[in-house]
Amino acid sequence: MAAETITAEASAAGVSGLAAAFDGFSRRHVLPARVIEASQVALDELLSNIVKAGVEPGNPAEIQVSFDFLDPVLEIVVSYNGAPFDPLARKDPDTRASLDDRAVGGLGIYLVKKLMDSVTYERVGGENRLRMTKRIDA
Amino acid sequence: MSLEIREDRRETGLLLSPVGRIDSNTSGELERALLAKGAEPRLVVDLSDVEYVSSAGLRVFLMLARKVKAADGRLALCALPPSVRQVFDLAGFTALFTVESSPDQAFERLSS
Repeated sequence: MAAETITAEASAAGVSGLAAAFDGFSRRHVLPARVIEASQVALDELLSNIVKAGVEPGNPAEIQVSFDFLDPVLEIVVSYNGAPFDPLARKDPDTRASLDDRAVGGLGIYLVKKLMDSVTYERVGGENRLRMTKRIDA
Repeated sequence: MSLEIREDRRETGLLLSPVGRIDSNTSGELERALLAKGAEPRLVVDLSDVEYVSSAGLRVFLMLARKVKAADGRLALCALPPSVRQVFDLAGFTALFTVESSPDQAFERLSS
């Protein structure tokens, strides 16, 4: 089966549609539950970050996501137009702080790095591109 | 997609059970439902029917813990499925919460 590419509006509804598209893809490829769940979390983190940060008023951006599974590696690529922005450059949060001192900023990207086997950022032809992979046999 | 949240009022306290995915899309609903119960003296959240939790959901649990603490209440989470437990562990959230394996054990812990 070939890679699937889906384009959606950079909005909450668009993010929800992309999550549903990944459901369909992972069912067709019979991916293990732990891989699907980790990937859904990672996808939600990347997409919600873009929706929060990336949309300029009057200029609704689109997000393109492609899913590919070349046994045993699942690859998800998220691309969008916008100012160059590398979310992976962010400092990891303090995951040992007490309840009162705990901040949630940066936690999403930290989870992506930990849940997936790899995640990289590239600036390609005016686009931000985030590529993540996860092996199903790891 | 919407999030269903079951509510079970017991003698020992209030049990809330969200069902489905807790992500950027559903965390708003979770926030409204949970924070409305932040003044409960004994509150248990059963996560057994949750598929996964993203950081948008972690933020809600953090807000709930602070609210319950401010109201001098007691809060426990229970029955975390493996992928939910993994996210809590990675984020260092397991240390911030009382986590038990079942609602009964959670209420017992809160009553002691």
